Amino acid sequence: MWLGYGTGAYQYQSENYFVLFNDPYDGSSKPHIHVNPSFAPASRISLVEFSDWTSWVNDHNFFNEFNVTIRARSPQTLDVTYSRPELVIHKYIEILPDAVRVTLQSEKEFVAHIEMWRWVMASINGISIKDVTKPLVIPPTTLVEFTFSDDGLPGLGRGRIVMSAMPSQIEIWPHETGFNKITVDFVNSMMSFTVSGSMEAVGAPSLNWNYALLPYVLPIVSITVVALYLLVGRYGRTIKNRATRRGN
Amino acid sequence: MEERSRIVLLAAAIRLAIAPFFMHAGDVGTIYESSIMVLKGANLFDFVYAKTIQMQSATGLPVFFEGYAYHPLLIYFFAPFYWLFTLFAGQGPVMIDGHYPSVPVLIYPWTPVLLLMLKIPIILADVLVVYILAGMDSKKAKIYAFCPYVIFISVVWGMFDALVALFLLLSYLTSPRNSFLSGLFYGLSLMKLYTIVLLPLYVVRLFGKWKEFGTFLAGFAVTLLPIVYYLIVSPVSIWNVLITFQGGRLMGGVNLYNFIWIVQDLRFDLAVSMIPNIFLVVALFCLIVRFGRKAPLLESTLAIMFVYFLFGKVINEQFLVSIFPLMLLCKECDHRLWVAPFVFVFLRSSFLYFMLPILWTSPIFYGYYLQADTVWRQLQAAGYLQIPMYAVGVAFSLLIFWNLLRVIDTARGGIGSTYGIADNRAKELGLQGLISRLATMAGLSRARCAFSACSPRRSMPSQR
Repeated sequence: MWLGYGTGAYQYQSENYFVLFNDPYDGSSKPHIHVNPSFAPASRISLVEFSDWTSWVNDHNFFNEFNVTIRARSPQTLDVTYSRPELVIHKYIEILPDAVRVTLQSEKEFVAHIEMWRWVMASINGISIKDVTKPLVIPPTTLVEFTFSDDGLPGLGRGRIVMSAMPSQIEIWPHETGFNKITVDFVNSMMSFTVSGSMEAVGAPSLNWNYALLPYVLPIVSITVVALYLLVGRYGRTIKNRATRRGN
Repeated sequence: MEERSRIVLLAAAIRLAIAPFFMHAGDVGTIYESSIMVLKGANLFDFVYAKTIQMQSATGLPVFFEGYAYHPLLIYFFAPFYWLFTLFAGQGPVMIDGHYPSVPVLIYPWTPVLLLMLKIPIILADVLVVYILAGMDSKKAKIYAFCPYVIFISVVWGMFDALVALFLLLSYLTSPRNSFLSGLFYGLSLMKLYTIVLLPLYVVRLFGKWKEFGTFLAGFAVTLLPIVYYLIVSPVSIWNVLITFQGGRLMGGVNLYNFIWIVQDLRFDLAVSMIPNIFLVVALFCLIVRFGRKAPLLESTLAIMFVYFLFGKVINEQFLVSIFPLMLLCKECDHRLWVAPFVFVFLRSSFLYFMLPILWTSPIFYGYYLQADTVWRQLQAAGYLQIPMYAVGVAFSLLIFWNLLRVIDTARGGIGSTYGIADNRAKELGLQGLISRLATMAGLSRARCAFSACSPRRSMPSQR
């Protein structure tokens, strides 16, 4: 369920993703999607941040030039309405079981320039930072895949953005040790970005582990201990009986 | 099954079942971090000192990094179990950045396994204490084995005061038979440095009985070798970490002084925190002069530790575990003293904090934890928890004082049977054989019993 705060911030925590909408400090993060790695579920690793500060529709800045209202349309869907006299756009942030979908929709066709940030991505669609020194327009596609690592967590991350329609242009932006921005330009009345990601542990052997099994662990431990206790008790009594040549 | 085995097995089973799922992230994190460093051959005290310098230069305040500030020997009880853990889990990090007040990142599924491994020395200590007590009185063993406070501190918190308890108990029990072992075990009890207050007692008791004194010091000196090593290798670091930090800590805890937080001035608070040291030194001096030499060892040990609990400036919740077995052996002590520090645990730290290994298995739980923690911090900031904390501290101090008076009263009457009780307990326990074997192994089979001044059958050289 989306949790709203008085500051206008909203957050959603699913089993795999943490999504923040409208950072209470500076109004960024619209939304900011984090992944919870399966090997460290309590960590929130930044996956992609949609920026209103640097996104434009019909040459109007999303952050400064639209009136915005926010409401939860359903427990999983946040409906953000951007309105101007000549245009109303809905941004739906929908939490899916294995992804987060951000949809821009209007009754009219619009020209959009959307920026998605992450500090930083090691590679995008197989293009490494070593190969690029300036912003690069990549071949048109509806699928953007990127890799990343995290400073604090020993793991290799993979992210994926699937677009519902072919954009007119996708550009990737290098910054020091990686790419920090993906910009997407398109002309349409509806476009969705389905964002998913994961992280694999590096340095520790992995075990097959399902967290749904956790409630069974304590009972299993208890039953094992009790069984051991009974076995030892029975065995001990048998030995004692043998030693004293007595039965029960 | 023999009752002794049954109590011991049950005590072990309860602890093993709980251990993997709970921890105090700050304290267990310190042991984990230190174990890694020891296996890498790094100098723990240099690391802690460097962090302290970093913090002090960043803040300009006399603050200390609260890392490994214990006897160097301690970590060698834990490091082998961490090493065993790495054999099947690899050397990747399992707990990242858990220094209080920040919460750690935990890597699964290895976290519960790591917790179990790191708590095995503590569980073994607890089980050995139960075993020893069960040899004397199964009722007392049951109290220790199933006391919620002891279980909580050992396997929920993950604090190792049970090791101190074991070594203090062994030091007391071996004292009539072998002063070398008594000195050795006493030295090992210094893993938590607060048992240093007992050193004057041992010195006073043995003063004049030079052979026993020497034997005791020899055993004690063995445990000091690692400290000597660090004093040579990195004197500034170990001095800063063990003496400056521990000696200059802000007063508080389960005692009379848990009001200092009202004044939000660190330098003033630190200066005021030196005052309880004066009370402590005066009280210890009076007690040792009056009872140290002739009162029974058990009662005098407890009296000194009670004085420490009464006047010591930092009394943490877990400290009482260290003397809990001795309290059980003492008829005059009320073992229900544990209730006060146990209550204090839940006033100072949110219970959810101990549940991080469970809560961190799901991001949903993590989210709930953050919300609950916000409420907890607001309660703390508003002062709602400080008054109950102060009340519990005062109540504990009064109870300690009452127990101290009872022990002193008994000690007055007990002068003349100084070590007879420990000797009898060692006999009941069947420790004589064990001690003889240990002494033989150490080449000390001819060592005379150190603490037999009042036993006419074992006259000391000075009495001949």
